[in-house]
Amino acid sequence: MNENLPYFAALKAFASRARDRVGDLWSWFWYLLGVLYFVLPLYATLDFSLHMQRDTISLLAYQKAFADPGFLKTFVYSNILAVITILVGLLLVVPTSYWIRLRLPEARRVVEYITTLAIVIPAIVMGFGLVAVYGAPIKIPFTSVQLTDSLLNSPVGTNFIIIMGYTVLALPLMYRSIDTGMRTIDVRTLTEAAQSLGASWTTIIVRIILPNLRASILSGALLTFAIVVGEVTISSIMNVPAFSPYLWLLGQHKAYEPAALSFASFLLIWASMGIIQIVTGGRAQAAGAH
Amino acid sequence: MAQTALPASRNSANPLNLKKWLGVSPFFLFAILFLIWPSARLMIDAFLDTQGRFTFANLAQLFQNPTIVSSYLLSIQISAVTALGGGIFGFFLAYSVTIGGLPKALRSMLVTFSAVASNFAGVPLAFAFVATLGRTGLITAILKNVFGVNIYTAGFNLYSFAGLSLTYMYFQFPLMVLIMAPALDALKREWREAAENLGATVFQYWWHIALPILMPSILGTMFLLFANSFGAYATAYALTGGSLPIITIQLRAQISGDVLHNPSLGYAMAVGMIIIMAVSTIGYIWLQSRSERWLK
Amino acid sequence: MTKKILFYVFPLVLIVSMILSACGSAATPTAAPAASGGTGMDALVAAAKAEGTLNVIALPHDWCNYGGALDEFKTKYGLTINEITPDAGSGDEITAITANKDNKGPQAPDVVDVGYSFGEANKALFAPYKVSTWDTIPASAKSADGYWYGDYYGVMAFMVNTDVQPKVPQDWSDLLDPAYKGQVALSGDPRTSNQAILAVYASALANGGSLDNAQAGLDYFSKLNKAGNLVPLISNNGLVAKGETPVRITWDYNALAGVDSFNGNPKVSVVIPKSGRFGGVYVQAISAYAPHPNAAKLWMEYLYSDAGQLQWMKGYCHPIREADLRARNVVPADLAAKLPDVSGAVFPTDAQMKSASDLITKNWDSAVGSDIKAAP
Repeated sequence: MNENLPYFAALKAFASRARDRVGDLWSWFWYLLGVLYFVLPLYATLDFSLHMQRDTISLLAYQKAFADPGFLKTFVYSNILAVITILVGLLLVVPTSYWIRLRLPEARRVVEYITTLAIVIPAIVMGFGLVAVYGAPIKIPFTSVQLTDSLLNSPVGTNFIIIMGYTVLALPLMYRSIDTGMRTIDVRTLTEAAQSLGASWTTIIVRIILPNLRASILSGALLTFAIVVGEVTISSIMNVPAFSPYLWLLGQHKAYEPAALSFASFLLIWASMGIIQIVTGGRAQAAGAH
Repeated sequence: MAQTALPASRNSANPLNLKKWLGVSPFFLFAILFLIWPSARLMIDAFLDTQGRFTFANLAQLFQNPTIVSSYLLSIQISAVTALGGGIFGFFLAYSVTIGGLPKALRSMLVTFSAVASNFAGVPLAFAFVATLGRTGLITAILKNVFGVNIYTAGFNLYSFAGLSLTYMYFQFPLMVLIMAPALDALKREWREAAENLGATVFQYWWHIALPILMPSILGTMFLLFANSFGAYATAYALTGGSLPIITIQLRAQISGDVLHNPSLGYAMAVGMIIIMAVSTIGYIWLQSRSERWLK
Repeated sequence: MTKKILFYVFPLVLIVSMILSACGSAATPTAAPAASGGTGMDALVAAAKAEGTLNVIALPHDWCNYGGALDEFKTKYGLTINEITPDAGSGDEITAITANKDNKGPQAPDVVDVGYSFGEANKALFAPYKVSTWDTIPASAKSADGYWYGDYYGVMAFMVNTDVQPKVPQDWSDLLDPAYKGQVALSGDPRTSNQAILAVYASALANGGSLDNAQAGLDYFSKLNKAGNLVPLISNNGLVAKGETPVRITWDYNALAGVDSFNGNPKVSVVIPKSGRFGGVYVQAISAYAPHPNAAKLWMEYLYSDAGQLQWMKGYCHPIREADLRARNVVPADLAAKLPDVSGAVFPTDAQMKSASDLITKNWDSAVGSDIKAAP
């Protein structure tokens, strides 16, 4: 018996190492359950969207969906708005985050509270708030002197306000992305080095800080893009021709085209998240519900 | 504006250095104009009646009007159920790819999928679930044709509490996975080995060491999930259109809606919503900061 | 530094927004408008073009072929059309007017298309206008002083997705069959939607009620609901196609338009209940608070011109000037053949409509208690 002990020990060690490498049954169970939960709705959507023609599989639903002029119009609109929102967000967050790291750590708390506020206030409350404030003519406070008519009376004004609304919705994610990025690059040292070499502020920001933040910027940009294109709440309150309200409306009248577009938007999000994964090396972010 | 030396920021000689705060002023201006003031305006309007006079009547309605009370309760119930369910499911998923020892490739797949799923909320998600569990959905059909189980005659309905909760779970548990995976990583292997050396069983290790350490993180994330679900509008509207009177849908109906249309009441409901969201988010933040004590 | 950036960004954002909205209202070359009058019409067209936009509400593209009508109007006059909530009900349209009295922006409708009973009741919200073809509109379908005027009509029908439900109901009483459990749906909220109100009214005729007594309809729907056959969802063609509401109670023209758009997948049966054809008229009106009053008038002129009326006909609706069109032989033969037969349809009078509407909208909650809400 004694001479067998080392063998048993070796066997036990092998078993536990194997377990460590392949995981136990419990883990596999949960993992597969998770995969099932993820994949089934997507597969169901795909399956449904491929059956627009009776009894055959075809891409007809996709062809019809993409050929619809309403799709092109709203998709382009939402994309343009997304790009502008990304720019506005970056222009707000990058200098602010930079400034806080460099000069004003006391402001850090306040800024984080503000981004938390953007999470606390639900989109629907924010939408109605924007309408309440900007749906009325803009006056000088405490007087009745009217500066301009209600911003929401014109398409330009409405677009402007909704871009600001989208930016607020995307703010927490954008800020977290950029802030994480700033944390990993040593902003102080870079700035000091650049300044000692005689660089101006523009040079520092544009040629040193921004290139180092490429991953974070891309990450924040893609998340913002996903949020804007998927946004329904504020868009429908303000009645702008955005993509998601169009998709919802399409679902009122058609069955196959909405399924096709839903699956297509899943692919789009997957591509975006995949790019983020590659670029940030695994620091994934979640947007949460809209 | 350019300076050659970076000053020490804890400038005790000049506690309120206004010029420095100017740098973050655009951000604050933006926040005030488009976040703080619109929300404040809504909250102020909640205290005004139709003539513009101060009143508590609207807020009183929150507690007296049975429709509104039941709306809040319904939202809280759905949020609690999906926070708990999503939290538990997400925890086990995160466990499976971290401590559970599944291959690394599976982990990155899970993280990508989680990022996608948590961003997939809204209209497309509602359509996807109709295609899955609707009356002629894929799973409904499989259950009927292969297993002989007709869930609809058995009483299931996608446009109900159960259906909406199932749909919400789709973006709840990925959020849990994304937050818990790093937390589980931070659970030091040495602790487990030390416990084993002292003779603890797996159960004892979890009960006395791992779970207490993880609990702030787990609970905190559940608070986040709660807030996430409570404020959601698009998914619910696209799925049920309003047949489930959760608070966000009721709010919209009051402010801009058809039959009901009492904006001040809607604003009061917004105040109630913000308070609940704030409590939940504060819970999340506080618990997260506590969890960082052990899980640096 | 940051201020400088912001300084340049702010106008940039504004400029891009302007470009965006310009893209939306890109000038399309305007064809010479078909003027049915002399300089009066020309002046109206010019004034409308100066306004540049028309705000419409609650006009789904497959409802009476509004899609075709809107496109033709856009091509003819080059105006931009701003479509507000296409799936709103008549009650929502009225609310949109009242809620936006001071708002001249894109949320305020210029014109509405509402159920007959919503016309006279909301006269105060409308601006009177008599189109050039006013005299060819039957007197019973318009307000004498021009506040509202009938536009088209159809009869109540059942739309059945026969792939999901092969057993096609022939009459209202069939719907109570247990085979239809959880399958029957109205097309609107009976407290605000004209289509839903009239569905309830129509069912009264088949259940011992009459045009003067809509209570039987409420009782019928109460039975339908208790049997579990009534689904508390606002049905639409999307839901029928998906199989979520295999039996939809709707206007015949909606059902027929759905058959066209489904193109065989799924297969749909359109049934007009045996117990009788119940006719419903819709009316047009210009909002008294319209941001673009001239564009609104031009839209009316178009709708009541032969071209507009024929567009509605393409959508299986009977346009209000049908008798006049047929008398002058301007209806293409194939179009005339496709129209559903509505001979012998009963139309409630103004007074009957009002009392039935009141009864149904006020008592739906207590009598039936089913909260009908919208769905995917």
